[in-house]
Amino acid sequence: MNAGIAEQLRLAWVLVRRGLNEVLRVPGASIPGVVAPTIYMLGGYSVFGRLNLLPGFSGDDYLAWILPTAFIQAGVFTGAATGVNLARDIENGWFDRMLLAPAPRRVLVAGVAGSASIRVLLPCVLILVSGWLAGIGWPGAGTLAISIALAALLAAAMACWACGLAMKFKSQDAAPLMQTSGFIAFQLTAIFAPIALLAPWMRAIAQVNPFTYLLDAVRQGWIGEISWHDTWPGLLAIAGMLALAWWFAISRIRRMDA
Amino acid sequence: MAGIIEVSALERSFKGPDGAPLAAVDGVDLRVEDGEVYGFLGPNGAGKTTLVRMLVTLLRPTAGSARVAGHDIVREAAAVRSAIGVTLQDAALDPLMTGFELLSLQASLHGLRKRAAADKAEELLERVDLTFAGPQRVGTYSGGMRRRLDLAMSLIHEPGVLFLDEPTTGLDPISRKVLWDEVRRLNAAGTTVFLTTQYLEEADELADRVGIIARGKIVAEGTPAELKAQAGASKLEVTIHDPDQLATARELLSARRSLLAPRSGVSLCLRLEPGESALAPYVVALDQAGVTVDRIDLVEPSLDDVFLMQTGHHFPSDGDEPAAADAAVAE
Repeated sequence: MNAGIAEQLRLAWVLVRRGLNEVLRVPGASIPGVVAPTIYMLGGYSVFGRLNLLPGFSGDDYLAWILPTAFIQAGVFTGAATGVNLARDIENGWFDRMLLAPAPRRVLVAGVAGSASIRVLLPCVLILVSGWLAGIGWPGAGTLAISIALAALLAAAMACWACGLAMKFKSQDAAPLMQTSGFIAFQLTAIFAPIALLAPWMRAIAQVNPFTYLLDAVRQGWIGEISWHDTWPGLLAIAGMLALAWWFAISRIRRMDA
Repeated sequence: MAGIIEVSALERSFKGPDGAPLAAVDGVDLRVEDGEVYGFLGPNGAGKTTLVRMLVTLLRPTAGSARVAGHDIVREAAAVRSAIGVTLQDAALDPLMTGFELLSLQASLHGLRKRAAADKAEELLERVDLTFAGPQRVGTYSGGMRRRLDLAMSLIHEPGVLFLDEPTTGLDPISRKVLWDEVRRLNAAGTTVFLTTQYLEEADELADRVGIIARGKIVAEGTPAELKAQAGASKLEVTIHDPDQLATARELLSARRSLLAPRSGVSLCLRLEPGESALAPYVVALDQAGVTVDRIDLVEPSLDDVFLMQTGHHFPSDGDEPAAADAAVAE
């Protein structure tokens, strides 16, 4: 089947809908990934809520500082969960059925990644509602759009990465690798404090860590104004992460028969 | 004219436990004609699944070539996938989806629009007698229902070639019979069927031609009748009532024909001459010698005899340990 772009999008959407099944039919399985970013946000706020009094914070509300990190975490966790689901599909043979379809391989990957982009809306909504209840103000439509869009793109990138791992190891045993790789990378950024306040070794890592720029792009509107200066590095970072993760997933799916 | 499946010197190796290559399929040549049911018979671990996975493009060959429906399995994999239907050894189904949803999804992946996909799903559910279960999640299906749904999924695009990898393994006799009937019906409608099985009876019942594989190599091929003819003439099995008369009976029968290994301690087995089918002379001889016979059976050659002749051992029964090669495939 030599599918055109419209047909490929239609096929990908069919797979997106299938990928959302678990959320609707086994909601319990989605709860950890949906709740964890919010718990992390509220926990961080409760413990470190007065860090904003330190020099370097410019008097920012600490909730506004920590809330954007939950969007990034939502993207990381949702992407990893998508990879774990794919590993389960590989183990139980369902993915063989997908591979036997004449649809292009990139459509299969796009369908899986697309479902992650939509699933991430659930934790995002919970983060926003919890933040609102905890006292966060209205950040503006632009900030909200940037935060959700970048979380969705990050979920897609992490899903590609995790699916690549699932296709390499063909087992749910790879789940810890899918979950911790993104989580650790994200921890090595300015999550809790501005980059200037980090220990030198961590600052060095954070300065080359694409998650830092992604976080800055999400955070900017929550603690100040949206500017192109803080936006384009985030867009560049997510574009790079998406491209690399997509390449990894596509190369792995093409090697599934090797 | 080219066969619908043509396999030439096909090989697939995996890394063995000691790191050395282990050939799961070792230089297989075969040809399946359009409209045929080809039975691929072999015990667990013989290489059946490895060969099927290569032919359906899920596994790349190490060497050799194959064409399915006129397309090369490596260079034209997408075209092969469009032309074939496949049911794999374990029914590949998503337990969270309903039967109807799975069929609709499969139809969509094969290019059908939403309405046409739904119509096709309904049609196939009816065909495999699962209309009642269409709205139920697949996780609630029995083994037989899952197999039938899996078969329906492989038929969604009405393929000309159907690969069935051990479709009845683990099924109860009734479900097995239902699947056999469906295979016959599909074949009668013109579908070529490549069927792997570890059941001698299944190959005998369904296949126009049978290929027997052992340790990655085809050891015999032909129609079931041809293969059985190769295995030789019929056997006569005589069960003696009184064990004390066994020696007399043995002496009497061995003077007429060579004896084979018997099934039990009170029976004797002798190979008849080709074409010989009259039992009366043996019965009369034993009767005149005063030997009381409990039972006398004329046993036609079976595919097991063919397997025995080609490999030196009987066809293993279901549940024997898989060989290392198929264990590697399973991984």
